[in-house]
Parts: sequence; structure tokens; C-alpha cells
Amino acid sequence: MLLVIGNKNYSSWSLRPWIAMKVLGLPFTEKRIALYRPGSKEEILSFSPAGKVPVLQDGSTVVWDSLAILEYLAERHPQLWPADAADRATARAVSAEMHSGFANLRQHMSMNVRKRYPGKGRTPEVLAEIARIDAIWAAARGPFLFGSFSAADAMYAPVVLRFRTYDVDVCPAYMKAMLALPAMKDWMAAAETEAESLAQFELYG
Amino acid sequence: MSTSLRLVIGNKNYSSWSMRPWVLARQAGIAFEEVQLKFDDAGRPRGIESYGVAGRVPVLLIDGNPVWDSLAICETLAERFPEKQLWPADRLARATARSICAEMHSGFQALRSSMNMNIRSRHPGKGRTPESLRDIERIVAIWTSCRERFGAGGPLLFGRFTIADAYYAPVVTRFQSYAVSLPATAHAYCDAVLSLGAVREWMEAARRETEFVAADEPYASR
Repeated sequence: MLLVIGNKNYSSWSLRPWIAMKVLGLPFTEKRIALYRPGSKEEILSFSPAGKVPVLQDGSTVVWDSLAILEYLAERHPQLWPADAADRATARAVSAEMHSGFANLRQHMSMNVRKRYPGKGRTPEVLAEIARIDAIWAAARGPFLFGSFSAADAMYAPVVLRFRTYDVDVCPAYMKAMLALPAMKDWMAAAETEAESLAQFELYG
Repeated sequence: MSTSLRLVIGNKNYSSWSMRPWVLARQAGIAFEEVQLKFDDAGRPRGIESYGVAGRVPVLLIDGNPVWDSLAICETLAERFPEKQLWPADRLARATARSICAEMHSGFQALRSSMNMNIRSRHPGKGRTPESLRDIERIVAIWTSCRERFGAGGPLLFGRFTIADAYYAPVVTRFQSYAVSLPATAHAYCDAVLSLGAVREWMEAARRETEFVAADEPYASR
């Protein structure tokens, strides 16, 4: 399998399937395309007609969009969703909510792994979204949202990194469990070594 | 003991997210009880507090337990009713169907905001921005590609009816409301969606609704 991703410092969508595949222990080749550079768009389009990362190539099958990739992986690796049907439905609901929502958080607290912006980006709308995430995480079984690591944790992994950057104090036990994952540490270390700086995501200097 | 399903939806004229699981369940012959909440002027469903944890429609109550968000509801129904084959049976087709549904779920913001769903109204030519035109172009490319690659067994994206058609049904009604001219394959696909029994039923009910929701009416006044 080949997983096409963007910059590890900035691409929150890329982190989601990447961390899921790492935690599942699946062998895959990683193809990193630095975003927003001349030729970036064309290179992504050579993998996916949607022109966005992440993209998963599995033989002749191409799957795009983080949530579709997670569902695709879960067909072969059902442990990616909780085993209980009611838990699985809730896990899908919080994952889909993340997938289509939290636009203010995404805009004002964009993912920027190597930076520290304590106190920044806290508009009233962002604070309301943080309160909603707090409510979702507060129901965590521990150490992860539904006990063991699931696709829902993969969907919220970039939020954990945002809260680290913007010093948002929400559910410290869950944050700690996520940040202690070896795969999360690998992703953060790789983000630190990336040379590209994208002005549109360097919101606060 | 059979499972009780209640689907909480918003106004049929405006709520594109509600239309998706409703059309899916109805067209597939999955029995459910409909609970309709009406939007206030800001587009918030009145009374959602008693059902929805996320404060939005749609919500599917399975024996009283809420599952929210249209995509999560569709996946959960697919899992609960495997005999209905709500996703394509072929693995490659299914992967593609999930990709285009997820693309719809998180994308096409320009189309959604400048051509919001408004089944009973006609605003030909409105809402065209460079961004919404790009969204339309991408949607036409998705439909054309699916019809060519997977559409041999019928008139829909993957031949027979699947979640993907329920997912793009609100887009079909938008193209009608805003009189978007389409190439032949996309046009024929729209006709096929508009002739689905569940889509017709939803649209007829939408036309009978009289509530005017200001947040969803950028091109009309009360």
C-alpha cells in the first residue's frame, strides 16, 4: 500500500490515516508531497482525481479522503472500530462530526506541530467548538475514546496536536495517552525536521 | 425483537443533510418513524436538545440511542441491514463510493453556501462564483467517472441505488433550483435520481412546506 500525504507539520487530514495505519502495524510506503508549491497540485492529481491528500493506493484501488480511507482499512482490520455495535455507531458519529465540522477551530487553530501559540485563536466560536470536543473526550473510556485505539482517535489526533500548540487544557489524560503513542512521536519528530514554511498556516508569527 | 428506528430531520425544503439518510432508508425499504423539527431563522432545529447530542439534524435513534451525522447514519444503516446492500458489493466500487461520499461530506463548501438547498424555489443563474463553478465541475467529473466505470447495471452512479446516490441527491435538487446546465451524462443521472420514488416523495413534501428560513434564503425576502 502507498499512502500519499502532505507536510507533516501542517496536514491534519494526512495524519489521520497515517496514525491509524501505524497503530495497526500495517506495512506501507509513504509518499510525502510538500503542499502549495509549484507542481504540488499536479503531483497530487496524478494519484487522485480529487486533488487532495491523503490518498491511499492499494494495488489498483485508489481511496481518497481520510474518513473513506479509515472505513476502507476497517473492512480488512475490523479492530479499527469498537467491537460493540452501539459503541461503533457512536464512534462513527464523533468521527463524522469531526470530518464535516469544527470549521472555526480549523481556521483559527490550524495545525502547526512545531509552533507554540498559547492563548491564540480563541474566538467565541472556537471556544464553543473546544467545549464540544471537551464533552466528546470527557466520555472517553480510557486510555482512548472507546478503550483501545480506534478510528475515532485517528480522527481527533490532529486536534490533540492543535491543543498542544495552542495550549488548550482539555482532558489531559486523553491528551497524554495520544501524545505517548510512538507513532505520534514519530510524526511530531518528522514535522520538526521539515524545512517548508507555509505563510497561510503561520497565523501568529 | 425488532429494532426501533426514529429519524430526526429538519425542514424538507432546506435540510440537505436530513435528506440523505431519509432517502436512503425510504428507497431501500427500511422502516423508520420520522420526527420532523423545524428550523428557526438562524437555521437551528427547534427542540433538538431533547434528541441530538451535537445539536444538529439528522439524528437516527436506534432503540433510543442517538447516532448523529448523515454519514455515520448511512454507515450504521449499511452495517445493520447488510441484505439491503447499501454500498456497492464490489470492493473497488465500494472504496470509490466511500471516497466520493466523504468528499461530499467534507467538501464543496462553495456550492453549499452559495447554492444552498431550496427545493421549492427557482433561482436560475444565481450562486455562480469561481469557487462554486469549480465545485460543479468536480461533481460532474465524479458522476461521469462513476457512470462510465461502475454504472453498467442501471442508471445510477454504481448501477443500482446505493448510499452514493442518496448522498448526491441534494446536489441534484440544487442543480434544478439554480438551473445549472449539465453535459448529457450528468443530466441523465439527475433525471434518474429525480425519478426515484423516495426522492419524489421528499421533494413533494418539501414543496408543501411554507416556513421561510431567512438563513437559507440569500436570494429571496419574506
